[in-house]
Amino acid sequence: MADMVNVLIDGKPLAVEKGTLVIEAARRVGIMIPNFCHHPKLKPDANCRMCLVEVEKMPKLQTSCSVLVAEGMVVRTDTPEVNSAHKSVLEFILANHPLDCPVCDQGGRCDLQDFSHQYTPTTSDFIDVKRVFKKEYFSPLIDKEMNRCVQCLRCVRYCDEVVDAKALAPINRGTMTEISHFSSHQLDCEFCGGCVQICPVGAFTSRLSGFEFRPWMMKRADTTCGYCGDGCSLTLQTRGQQVIEVMSAYGEGRNNGDLCARGYFGFQYVNHTERLTAPLVRQADGKLAPVTWEEVLPLLAERFTQLKLAHGADAIAGLITARCTNEDLYVFQKFMRLAIGSNHLDSSARYGHVNAVEALRRVQGTNRWTVSYEDILQADALLLIGTQITFANPIVGLKVKEAVKKHDAKLLTIETGLRSVETTSNIVNLSSVHLPVAFDRHAEAVQGLIKALFDENLMDSGLESRSADFVAKTKAIISASSYPDGIDASTLRAIAKTFAAAKRGVIIVGQDLLQAPGGYQAMMNLTDFLLLLGKLTQPGWGIAPLTEENNEQGAVEMGATAGYLPGATGLENAATRERLVATWKESVPPTQGMRLLEMLEAAQNGRLKAMYIVGENPVRSLPASSHVTQALKSLEFLVVQELFLTETAQLADVVLPACSYAEKNGTFTNSEGFVQKVRQGLDPIGDSRPDWEILSAISVLMGYPLEYGDTREILKEIRAVILGYNVLGIKAEPAKVDAPTMERYLAGGFAEDLAQRYRAASAHRADWTLRLGQTLFHSGKMSTMAQGLLEIQKEGRLYMNPADFQRLHLQAGDRVRLTAETGEATVGVSPLGRIPEGMLLFPESFREPLAPLLRVTADPVTGVPYHKLQQVGVQKVG
Amino acid sequence: MPKYEPVLLKNMVQPGYTGSLADYERAGGYQAIRKVLGKLSPPDVTNLVKRSGLRGRGGAGFPTGVKWSFIPKDHPGPRYLCCNADESEPGTFKDRQLMERDPHQMIEGMILASYAIGVRTAYIYIRGEFALGAKIVERALSEAYQAKYLGEDILGSGFAVDIYLHRGAGAYICGEETALLESLEGKRGLPRSKPPFPATHGLFGKPTVVNNVETLANLPHIVNQGPEWFAALGSPPKSAGTRVFCLSGHIKRPGNYEVPMGITFREMIYEIAGGMRTSKPLKAFIPGGASAAFLTPEHLDVKMDFESVAQAGSMLGSGGVTVMEEGTCMVWAAQNLLHFFYHESCGKCTPCREGSSWLLQILERIEHGLGHPKDIDTMLRLCPNIAGRTVCAFGDAAIAPILSTLQYFRDEYDTHIREHRCPFRTEPSQMQPALTAAGMH
Repeated sequence: MADMVNVLIDGKPLAVEKGTLVIEAARRVGIMIPNFCHHPKLKPDANCRMCLVEVEKMPKLQTSCSVLVAEGMVVRTDTPEVNSAHKSVLEFILANHPLDCPVCDQGGRCDLQDFSHQYTPTTSDFIDVKRVFKKEYFSPLIDKEMNRCVQCLRCVRYCDEVVDAKALAPINRGTMTEISHFSSHQLDCEFCGGCVQICPVGAFTSRLSGFEFRPWMMKRADTTCGYCGDGCSLTLQTRGQQVIEVMSAYGEGRNNGDLCARGYFGFQYVNHTERLTAPLVRQADGKLAPVTWEEVLPLLAERFTQLKLAHGADAIAGLITARCTNEDLYVFQKFMRLAIGSNHLDSSARYGHVNAVEALRRVQGTNRWTVSYEDILQADALLLIGTQITFANPIVGLKVKEAVKKHDAKLLTIETGLRSVETTSNIVNLSSVHLPVAFDRHAEAVQGLIKALFDENLMDSGLESRSADFVAKTKAIISASSYPDGIDASTLRAIAKTFAAAKRGVIIVGQDLLQAPGGYQAMMNLTDFLLLLGKLTQPGWGIAPLTEENNEQGAVEMGATAGYLPGATGLENAATRERLVATWKESVPPTQGMRLLEMLEAAQNGRLKAMYIVGENPVRSLPASSHVTQALKSLEFLVVQELFLTETAQLADVVLPACSYAEKNGTFTNSEGFVQKVRQGLDPIGDSRPDWEILSAISVLMGYPLEYGDTREILKEIRAVILGYNVLGIKAEPAKVDAPTMERYLAGGFAEDLAQRYRAASAHRADWTLRLGQTLFHSGKMSTMAQGLLEIQKEGRLYMNPADFQRLHLQAGDRVRLTAETGEATVGVSPLGRIPEGMLLFPESFREPLAPLLRVTADPVTGVPYHKLQQVGVQKVG
Repeated sequence: MPKYEPVLLKNMVQPGYTGSLADYERAGGYQAIRKVLGKLSPPDVTNLVKRSGLRGRGGAGFPTGVKWSFIPKDHPGPRYLCCNADESEPGTFKDRQLMERDPHQMIEGMILASYAIGVRTAYIYIRGEFALGAKIVERALSEAYQAKYLGEDILGSGFAVDIYLHRGAGAYICGEETALLESLEGKRGLPRSKPPFPATHGLFGKPTVVNNVETLANLPHIVNQGPEWFAALGSPPKSAGTRVFCLSGHIKRPGNYEVPMGITFREMIYEIAGGMRTSKPLKAFIPGGASAAFLTPEHLDVKMDFESVAQAGSMLGSGGVTVMEEGTCMVWAAQNLLHFFYHESCGKCTPCREGSSWLLQILERIEHGLGHPKDIDTMLRLCPNIAGRTVCAFGDAAIAPILSTLQYFRDEYDTHIREHRCPFRTEPSQMQPALTAAGMH
């Protein structure tokens, strides 16, 4: 419990923690002291002088944003002198401020307007000429109207202190102080929209919605972002059937008001002109033609029923995207299991997240994190492995940055990256100890970490006595191997030592590890690492796998992924089956369900006759060598439910128009396990419908009615079926390690695959390793339909280390040919400082050119289709 | 033959004195460090300086020994000393001469200060425009290193200090101690909020002392001749010692003059600096740099010490005495100074940033015959909204010329406005208006 300090503010007594700013203390008793430059996320700058108050015994007025409370302090915020001071600051600002209100997007939500209304007279004594700045093009998405700037520097400080991108800086001085960017070209930064959100006036505005609205004309829906697994709260602002703008209020949600480019500028796919607006049915002439729901629903019910009778329920499979809501996912798996009668259903969680789920379930008994974002903030050591966090999960990245910069946490990174100051932030720049590894060697690095643990004698002594077998066998097998070739052992040992010495530590693991061959085993070994340190069950400690898509946790927990029942239990789990039977009044099919690759194989060889694909696009997601097109064409009946006419939808017999997250209600579960509300901001576009509603309608016509009035009824049923779902809900405590599961693992479960997990890696290495990975401005294919994001990045370019770039005599605009056994591809190439030598990164959202080059291998345990890594040859073209 | 025995300027007025280390030693230099290093304890040195009554010579006049004692004793360090050589106050040019003509005096002072405070690394922040001074100081530092007066184990005492020279980039505000520290740290030279003060959170967040060139230059003499000697000079107890005053303006012999504090302005201007340049009598003078309020002939008998000038409504400040004769337009003078302040305002805080530009616009209009009857009331209303409301003292400095010229020469302002012209000008002013409608940049 912190020391408390007693103060008196405008006669109101208050006790606050020592170290509280006067302005924050005043807020607690409902007194809003006007200010421009103050922001709770930023260090006090006290430059606007708007927040001046009277503090007894101090001769001059004091800036309440920079003065800390002291015992017995008496503060007055409403005296004539104080009000005169507020008035004078406004008078100074308004002297040079342009009368732009009629054309300024901030109008109606502007601090300067609000304070002027509160404090100033209606006339001004200023009869001189206002200073003007030359208007210059600033960037494709953010507009700068420098004349309106009040030089509070919130934008500069946010970009520096919170985002760590440092893209903005003030230049010149005095009244001509101008906010500018560090380059002679246009603004090149993370485009997180933070500066636009934090600007108190209309100096920074979004060009996507410029001049389109007044704030009071828009409806607001508080919802959750549909891009990555960070689970940011955002507010959709709509007018009619258009999303006009997105914002996120300070203090809201897991993201605390911060967003990334995708969340802030990536909403335009919702209103894209190519959105499917009517069901389509393939006609005799081979073309897809629009029909009504009344026509297509009976058709679907009939065909599915026919196929069931002719070939059995096991000839029908389903595939769903983890971008759907929990309600969509739940109804989908219920539809497949009851209406269709098949367990052959899988989700996009199969592409990597399942590796984390399986490992965590096996060792700690739950797929959930045992830590939360707050634990990341309070950790004193953070170990990041294979996250590319500033590209893939930028908001969790902000938590890491805050932990390091504000709370002195030690950052330890094992990433395919180098320290490099670039136009977007780079997490390894903040590391205390950084180990660069190749894209495909994270698993080896983890093994090295465990070897380091033993070499540094960091094993938990309690564990050594309680689970001697586990410790001894692991130690024996790891001692027999050497440190991975070319990975610095002393750095591994430094990382292990520093992490072990922390009081609270979190391991954050990402797709570079999970989507590389051996990802499941690497995840298992990583969990062993935390177990061996004796920390897995300690408060504040845990492993946090990040997810790429917004509801991958949900896809598993709703049972919409092969091998899982609702509650993320296995198909064989008797308790879950009982509960399902009790609620559904039907039994669940007993057979093991096919996973994604198995489904495609079964389609290819005719065992699978039909597929129902919701929101997934395997034709594009998987490489040419997987022959997905051929497989799907072999089906008798393909139904695709989508937002757009994707490559996979183009092969379908029936295409159904679905609602985006902006047009429906429901919930998403983020990486942490927070179940957050999705609220409808628009009516469904055209004739589209929420995914669950479509499935529900078909089920009724098939005679297995899964009827729900609204999503709340679905959530109610989910809670009945998944034990403890209420606890794992919106105000969640992190999950706890299931002690019996852990004990079983330690007692002998670990031995099942110990030899395979600690096997030496193959020595062969090619000169170049290509990774298809996530980049900051895009997420999946969905983001490539958002015009705003295309303005920043409209195509895929290969990122290469600058020294390599020079060695190959490449210049801006050049192309390279990538070759592998499977095929070749020619792409544009750019140097990027953070890419290590010999590594190549290509944005996965633009993966089409690489389709001929890649190939798939399946994880032997989890079936994850590894296809995003390839050893290649590189040649300059032309 | 100077009337008063110089102390700081003593060496440089000797014919043939080059300021080299050899010359400095021949003149008795680097004896003070021999008396102190390893012989006196650091707290003893601080007490010695306290007893001397030495006050800062940069403008604020804070007791030097007291400032040193604010450094927390139990802080693990490191501690820093910064010599403020950013001399930019208009009308002030003493530090420039001290550095160009006798740099080792300042360096020896820095060694003594570093010893007293416990500093291992010291910096000289020199104004960017002092290109010659920087060259000379660099050479002097290298001489001092060669003679092993800097670096490791000086004179076998075990004490070590390094001094680095850092050149500024042309901002007056970097003479403000916290802005200086920001600039030295590689950031924009914007002042910090105080508290905390540099003594506890200075350079890189560590305890730091910032001292003026002249302040440091006094230290070898205080050691050599004893604090009592210094304390008896000038105008004890509050204004001990000599000061180098910078005389400029409409006088016969502008230049640097070192005198004991306490002589009158009359003696300074008429006897020592040779009096007015022509038969035109004195109209007004600035006693201590552009931030000091104007004074009039009725103040000629005020003593040149901290308290007396403060009582007269101005400040001794940086010691820059600028004299104006009859025929000088006071509105023009205020405008001239405001132009400086407008140009140098760092832009951090609202009142100074917007206020200095607004006030300059008004003054320009008045001087060019475009004044409005409301203008004076507006200025009188704006100035108190700047005073005491800013991050640093720049705001208070910027309004001093306006308030003092309005106080003593209000009628001139009224005439400008009423007659739509400057009554002192027969042809248009040479100075281009920066901000009026005619010349917006």
